[in-house]
Amino acid sequence: MTKKHANWSPYDNNGGSCVAIAGADYCVIAADTRMSTGYNILTRDYSKISQLADKAVMASSGFQADVKALQKALSAKHLIYQHQHNKQMSCPAMAQLLSNTLYYKRFFPYYAFNVLGGLDNEGKGCVFTYDAVGSYERVGYSAQGSGSTLIIPFLDNQLKSPSPLLLPAKDAVTPLSETEAIDLVKTVFASATERDIYTGDKVEIVILNASGMRREYMELRKD
Amino acid sequence: MKLDTTGLESLPTLIAPQNDVVGDLSAAPSFDLPNSNDFDGFVKEAIQMVKPAKGTTTLAFIFKEGVMVAADSRASMGGYISSQSVKKIIEINPYMLGTMAGGAADCQFWHRNLGIKCRLHELANKRRISVTGASKLLANILYSYRGMGLSVGTMIAGWDETGPGLYYVDSEGGRLKGTRFSVGSGSPYAYGVLDNGYRYDLSVEEAAELARRAIYHATFRDGASGGVASVYYVGPNGWKKLSGDDVGELHYHYYPVTPSTVEQEMVEATGA
Amino acid sequence: MECVFGLVGNGFAIVVADTSAVHSILVHKSNEDKIMLLDSHKLIAASGEPGDRVQFTEYIQKNVALYHFRNGIPLTTAAAANFTRGELATALRKNPYTVNILLAGYDKETGPSLYYIDYVATLHKLEKGAFGYGSYFSLSMMDRHYHSGMSVEEAIDLVDKCIMEIRSRLVVAPPNFVIKIVDKDGAREYAWRESVKDTPVPSA
Repeated sequence: MTKKHANWSPYDNNGGSCVAIAGADYCVIAADTRMSTGYNILTRDYSKISQLADKAVMASSGFQADVKALQKALSAKHLIYQHQHNKQMSCPAMAQLLSNTLYYKRFFPYYAFNVLGGLDNEGKGCVFTYDAVGSYERVGYSAQGSGSTLIIPFLDNQLKSPSPLLLPAKDAVTPLSETEAIDLVKTVFASATERDIYTGDKVEIVILNASGMRREYMELRKD
Repeated sequence: MKLDTTGLESLPTLIAPQNDVVGDLSAAPSFDLPNSNDFDGFVKEAIQMVKPAKGTTTLAFIFKEGVMVAADSRASMGGYISSQSVKKIIEINPYMLGTMAGGAADCQFWHRNLGIKCRLHELANKRRISVTGASKLLANILYSYRGMGLSVGTMIAGWDETGPGLYYVDSEGGRLKGTRFSVGSGSPYAYGVLDNGYRYDLSVEEAAELARRAIYHATFRDGASGGVASVYYVGPNGWKKLSGDDVGELHYHYYPVTPSTVEQEMVEATGA
Repeated sequence: MECVFGLVGNGFAIVVADTSAVHSILVHKSNEDKIMLLDSHKLIAASGEPGDRVQFTEYIQKNVALYHFRNGIPLTTAAAANFTRGELATALRKNPYTVNILLAGYDKETGPSLYYIDYVATLHKLEKGAFGYGSYFSLSMMDRHYHSGMSVEEAIDLVDKCIMEIRSRLVVAPPNFVIKIVDKDGAREYAWRESVKDTPVPSA
């Protein structure tokens, strides 16, 4: 039974920001490493990024206990997928699996705000963005978490590509090179750290491209 | 390997208790429920915490050549626009479309689920499901979840053996057959334009323009609607996307800026 | 707002219902038939939440048909009314259906009859009855003008009086009504009273 205390909640918000940018042949997924509760900083070195498959990486903010449960559920399902199909799950497949996994908790949601980045079957970068109950959308770039309202307008300004819904369609590839995208992510986190108390300490950047996966870190303000 | 045949059942057996973190991975997926003595309160509060995206204008109507379906693309959480590129017209199969109003996840998930059921019907019966049947499938599922806080307002539009079909289905279990519907916060505005311009013998081009116009005017008046006005047409050969226009640009297309005549020339003050 | 009423005449029973499907301030449809043919000699008019209304009346209809299939004889109107009440009463303590029902039928032995069943499973056999906001107007109208052994013409005249009163006095009056009748020849649609017409669509 759930505790009968009047204002007990099974949820907490540990803050943090996640960003992902898709390029023509790469994908950058980044998140800060601060974990807080209220005004308390619990740790300055907590990774919010998890690799779900060779070409699918998820960054999640929200309630880190739920995030951990979600990561475990997904990696277990991915393990079974590998046993059954003898291959790694593709990023778009993982995207729908994540959507369904979140929706099956529709009445007791995971308090997790996710972005999934990776490479699709043609090797193009892809980013999927979610709400907590599993509605998802493929986009060119996205941000989630406590700093997302600061980051998204900035990314819109720098990267705004024609809407994928337009017909006749316009080319919507992020016009940046891989190094430019990484620099943009660093700038974006440095800026968010200035104005969001839940973002800071360090940014972890994962880069996926044809040659595999690579990690970078950059120190952020620690106040 | 055990096959997941839950899609074949008419009513979902999706609710089952889950005791550990991962649950039984070999079993068909099921909904996890909170052990709360106030389920309604819990779900309401939890959903409030995760802030669902809201605000929409969608419409669909039957005319001589088939069905026209249109929608905006904005999702907002309170005053914040969380997306300008939501696909509110969901492609269920090549002959059927669903529209999305209410909870984005609820609509997306149950339309995906409906797509699976329609495909299974096709495989079992060697013919496509009727729009009547598909909409009833969805309405029955939603009805079985009534009172649990789902939020869906959708139109199922398609072409079957009897010709064009259009149904309105919502999460209260309502299901209406009709020829002209609009759903969402911008729907009163859309209805105004739609009812005024509607005729049964509209051509495809005229109907598409009417749908686009109705969405445009709804996005103009309703702050929670905006982005891109997408227009789909469903005919005897299935659906086709006809257009997707940024309503910001559409405004200047409909109302080009004309240099206004200056009533009084400003003159620089002299003296002092 | 919803208006459902009915009355028993000489050798027939009539039920009338509005045909509006409303959602807050929006009228989604003005030709929604809320009177279902239960079997060849029974009519069931229902008001209430749209989901419950359709689900419940279809459930009753299918079960009445099942009884006929299994036993070779149809339920009498009284039996169908009691069955309906029973299902509503069972559901009431679990997940209630918010539906109010007027059930009209014609039996060889007993002639025409009209039953009133509300959402808390009250059952009454009546000569005339009504539900919804329209009941305030139609009840008094029927109290004043109804008499036993009315002819079809007299009854339709009374029905039209009720509709006119609802249209002229009720703020949220529905524009259109459907009138159905049941007598020795069976249950059927009698007429529509429409003041707003949806664009007609040639049926496929």
